[in-house]
Amino acid sequence: MARIRLSRAAAPYLLLLPGLAWLLLFYVYPAIQMFLVSLWTGNVQDGYKLTFNWGIYGSAFTEYWPWIVRSAEYGGLATILAFLLGYPLAYTIAFRGGAYKNVLLFLVIAPFFTSFLLRTISWKIILADSGIVLGPLKAAGLVPDDFRVLATPAAVVAGITYNFLPFMTLPLYVALEKIDRRLIEAAEDLYAGPWRPAGTIAGAAIGAVLLALLALTLSADPLVPAILGGIVGALIGTFLIGQAFLRITLPLSLPGIFAGSLLTFIPAVGDFINAELLGDPGSAMIGNVIQARFLKITDYPTASALSFILMAAILVGVLVYARLIGTEELTGGRI
Amino acid sequence: MNDERNEAPGKQIARRTFLQGTALAGFGAFLAACGASGTGSSASAAAATTASPSTAASAGASASAAAGGKIGGDLNFANWIGYIDISEDGSTYPSLEQFTKDSGVKVNYQEAIDDNEKFFTSDLQGPLSQNLPTAWDIVVVTDWMVARLARLGWLEAIDASATPNFVANLEPQYKGRSFDPNTKFAAPWQSGMTGIGFDKKKTGDLTSLNAFWDAKYKGKLTYLTEMRDTVGLTAIKLGFDPATITKDQFDQSLAEIDKAVKGKLVRQLTGNSYVDVMASGDAIVAMAWSGDVLGLLVPDQKKDQDFQFNVAKEGGMLWTDNMVMPKGVKNKAQAQAFINFYYDPKIAAQVEAYVNYVCPVKGAAEVLKASSPEIASNPLIFPPQDVVARLHQFRALDANEEKDWSAAFSKVLGL
Repeated sequence: MARIRLSRAAAPYLLLLPGLAWLLLFYVYPAIQMFLVSLWTGNVQDGYKLTFNWGIYGSAFTEYWPWIVRSAEYGGLATILAFLLGYPLAYTIAFRGGAYKNVLLFLVIAPFFTSFLLRTISWKIILADSGIVLGPLKAAGLVPDDFRVLATPAAVVAGITYNFLPFMTLPLYVALEKIDRRLIEAAEDLYAGPWRPAGTIAGAAIGAVLLALLALTLSADPLVPAILGGIVGALIGTFLIGQAFLRITLPLSLPGIFAGSLLTFIPAVGDFINAELLGDPGSAMIGNVIQARFLKITDYPTASALSFILMAAILVGVLVYARLIGTEELTGGRI
Repeated sequence: MNDERNEAPGKQIARRTFLQGTALAGFGAFLAACGASGTGSSASAAAATTASPSTAASAGASASAAAGGKIGGDLNFANWIGYIDISEDGSTYPSLEQFTKDSGVKVNYQEAIDDNEKFFTSDLQGPLSQNLPTAWDIVVVTDWMVARLARLGWLEAIDASATPNFVANLEPQYKGRSFDPNTKFAAPWQSGMTGIGFDKKKTGDLTSLNAFWDAKYKGKLTYLTEMRDTVGLTAIKLGFDPATITKDQFDQSLAEIDKAVKGKLVRQLTGNSYVDVMASGDAIVAMAWSGDVLGLLVPDQKKDQDFQFNVAKEGGMLWTDNMVMPKGVKNKAQAQAFINFYYDPKIAAQVEAYVNYVCPVKGAAEVLKASSPEIASNPLIFPPQDVVARLHQFRALDANEEKDWSAAFSKVLGL
């Protein structure tokens, strides 16, 4: 008996062991190593020495905070866009997918069967200045001759959104799928109807603010996008968002929103491939800076310090976010 | 070699370039992803993950370091994209096959280098700083990188008695260069020029460096991420000589580059991938390397494109890529046998006819003139005297200058 009880008690730890060992070897050890690298001084030819040069964190931050802010902006925008695209998608699959649910889910992850890099390079081919999209538009006089999509901040944000959309959609789907439909029926029985006029107003406000922010980040004139966003938002708020959705579906899908936005935002902030392939010199992200410091300038300490600063910044951001949404929702505690 | 033969392999190359670029970017992605997420490892770990060619050198073969004769064994050779002759179907390298036939050495040839610094970080620095041999027996790197490796003592000397062709046929201007005074570490592979690559159908003939600051080409211009090329051309435009450039002149040149970047004139700063950006028509003027336009762009150009290369009237940059053996090289006899093989004018001429760069091997010109006169009149392979007169080299930088200058340059690139 005693032996059985002992193994019972040890079981969770034994089960944790492989994962812990893996993390220790491939995460903790390199992280410590890189932390030490950040405290080196010297250059690649005369050699580096560990001098505990803590000052590098201050100097790297003062030098590069605009890049961190820009990365957070692009990552944040991409996360919001992915949410706006992914939520209706996940909702439709979960509630209206019927027999095609699995096929539709497969289609969501189908792009993953091709390399991330190839997909981004194919954007370059499709969206080339006189390629198959812009060529005909220019010939028809719909866009000016010097208009371009590639090598702009908009292309970088769009590329990140596209590449991380499945990370947003899948957790949302899982959360929405779990919702007990009887709760919605009950709400409707209890007179949960359309959400008017509050929905119209809220939709217009959210739509206008979002598109204005988007335009500002991409340094475009915000007026027209704001009006457009207001109209679309008002229409959505008026006709698509009902009381039952607002009070039942949306709160119950919060864990999915939380997980999806983190899974999108964190890699998006550190991403550098989209900025490198689709951006211009003015749209480089912190990931590009770190890459250049490591590989081109061979300034390992600054590169390592920037990696840690980025990690810390993301950690703080995530903690604040978790605090705001509430950790209860993390585990779906409210259900 | 007639036009048709020239064209077919070119097509292959364009595709190869694309794939190679992809593979490299993928590796870069891996590295930087590590860096960005904080789970990364040091450069030496990264080096360990790169292609590790077979290292089974036969000790017996190494011992018989004779020039010529069947010595057998392996040779691991890292070079740049499209930098050797490639067969029409793009699957084999005729000169390497010839080498294997003559010497019995199995060659593992990889287009592993896209950028000097990146290659240094990924493949050389890790093992060499630990006194370990690298995965390569011959690597092809640019002058200033040879200078750095020599300063670090990370190069293996070429044994003159094992390489009689190299001793006899190296063009005299390559002898006793400042970073290799006794000509014992670096065997030049190709020289090339940096100048203006442009699509003549869109721009007309371009002969002045002012084209790189011309608002007419706003958003259609690319600069190079190699500091010595971009800063070098800018310095020449401002009337400075890159061979004696001072910190002050460097700063003025950077300000001039910054003006073009901030003014959104420059679409992108690229490595060798400017070739792809030009091919798609997204750029029509590029800071370009001399052989690429003819070798990589022209074979694939569309009807409304006419790619040309000019060394600007103000001047251009001259550089040389060299074969070197990293310290502790495992297959030294085989590497030296290859250097000796390449310095046979017939072989050098065969490579030259394909790559369109300037050949450092004496006698190759005569071989080419006899076999294909149209190549002998190619100004990219045999630059006329007035062009040679306006070519400049970038001066050697010391370790701290190199780090500070490349950091300042990188800042201007938006990084």
